[in-house]
Amino acid sequence: MSLEKRDDFDHNAWLKEKDLTTIETVFLTALVYLDRRLRIVDYLELLEDAYYKVNLQMPKSHTEQYDLDNKFWYWYPLYSLGFFSVLAYIVAAVSGALLGFYYSPSAAGDPTAAYASIRMIMEDLQFGFALRSIHRWAAQIMMAAVFLHMLRVYFTGSYKEPRELNWLLGIILISLSMVFGYTGYLLPWNQLAFWAGQIGVEMALATPIVGEWAAQLLFGGFTLGQATIVRMYILHVFILPFVVTSLIALHVGIVWVQGIAEPH
Amino acid sequence: MNETDTTNDETRTDDGPASEASGTASELRSDGGETGIVAPDDETPTWSERKERKSGLSRLTYEYFERARREDQDLRQESDYVERDVLGFPTWPHEIIRNLAISLFFVGMMILIAAALPPSLELPANPSSTPSIILPDWYLYWSFGLLKLNPINPGLAVLDGGKVMSDQLYGILANVVVVGAVAFLPFLNKGSARRPVEQPFWAAIGAGGAVFAITIAGLAVQNLIPIALPLQLNIVFIGPIIVGVMTYALLKTLREGYMYGLNRRYYMLRPPK
Repeated sequence: MSLEKRDDFDHNAWLKEKDLTTIETVFLTALVYLDRRLRIVDYLELLEDAYYKVNLQMPKSHTEQYDLDNKFWYWYPLYSLGFFSVLAYIVAAVSGALLGFYYSPSAAGDPTAAYASIRMIMEDLQFGFALRSIHRWAAQIMMAAVFLHMLRVYFTGSYKEPRELNWLLGIILISLSMVFGYTGYLLPWNQLAFWAGQIGVEMALATPIVGEWAAQLLFGGFTLGQATIVRMYILHVFILPFVVTSLIALHVGIVWVQGIAEPH
Repeated sequence: MNETDTTNDETRTDDGPASEASGTASELRSDGGETGIVAPDDETPTWSERKERKSGLSRLTYEYFERARREDQDLRQESDYVERDVLGFPTWPHEIIRNLAISLFFVGMMILIAAALPPSLELPANPSSTPSIILPDWYLYWSFGLLKLNPINPGLAVLDGGKVMSDQLYGILANVVVVGAVAFLPFLNKGSARRPVEQPFWAAIGAGGAVFAITIAGLAVQNLIPIALPLQLNIVFIGPIIVGVMTYALLKTLREGYMYGLNRRYYMLRPPK
């Protein structure tokens, strides 16, 4: 028993009676050939569907509704703060990746290998001084931009009704950014870093119920040492970059979907 | 696997000897056999019927989707949206060039600052000598200041002046309360007001909060500021209140100004004496 050949869909005959130009014939022949084998039409349909979904008309924005295109709204320059913080985040990510080539997260030796590698970056490495400076300033500028962005969102009432969840996401993001900054602050393992870490451990231990567990998890014990450096390092260069980057993407994506909240 | 085997056997019962061969023989047959797919007839339920037959959460979900889609469609049909020929400037080159220019300017600014004010590297960590100044980065000062609120951790007379919670826990709770309050904001202040003048009270709260973030940061660097602690605590808490009241008064006044045009029209509509 074998499959019967059916001529219900004789595409070649259909092509002949269509009276097509050469280009059309070649295109259709290729399309039919590929479609018979790969079911291309299904995917084209999906693509078409996606195309129309992407190009759906957004609801009218406030400026359009009240024909305010010609008027200048004095809050508008502050609307760039979110973009500015993303930009600073990218600069920090690039310079941080370069710094990662030279930093070693180790408490061995005296002074520690971590401190020695930072000193090597600052004193011996070509442009290492500039690299660390850019990384540090990008982080500072990002935090400043994020705080100002939050103030802008507050004072233009952009956190209201359909946007509560994005506000909560923003709170999580700003907290994680501060953790980002804190973990990075500890990495050079200088006096300030060590004692800032000490305060962190004491804070964790003062928390009831989960305190000791949190101190073990984040700092690798109740006294600072090798485990602390490695944990801070992994948090700073592996876990937080993934988490924060995806949350930023979600944050911006929600803004994209919901539209910019323009002041009335 | 088992299921397909049984269906194959059932469809092939009239074959006689072939069904007795069963097992290995039926598995070897790969060509020309029945597919087991039944062509839809009038009895076959449609997809919507199948979905309707479902019960519980999936049914509710489906119903909601249908409703939401219908609502969407109705809204679209009712909307007075006029499709325009031109939706905006082309992304390339107009928007991209502009955004690139702005981005490069900002990045250049960052590099300039980095070049002008390079960071320092302090002494290596030494667990045996506590430095006189322990500070995190500036953006954590507010949190660090909240940790230093122990002077106002209340002692209770019932406990002979003992404290209900340790100073450190008190500071951590202060952090939790502040962050929680900020997170809870959209559920307290609703409505469509967007400009500060429309809600002077909430604008005052915001201004007070921003000032509090600065004054409480001052508490973190308390040992660097030559002010007595009680006075500084007063500044920390009364400063934001003063700023809040001033903001409220200012916005109320501004609002009177904004309403002026409306008031004038209102008075003009009144019948002349």
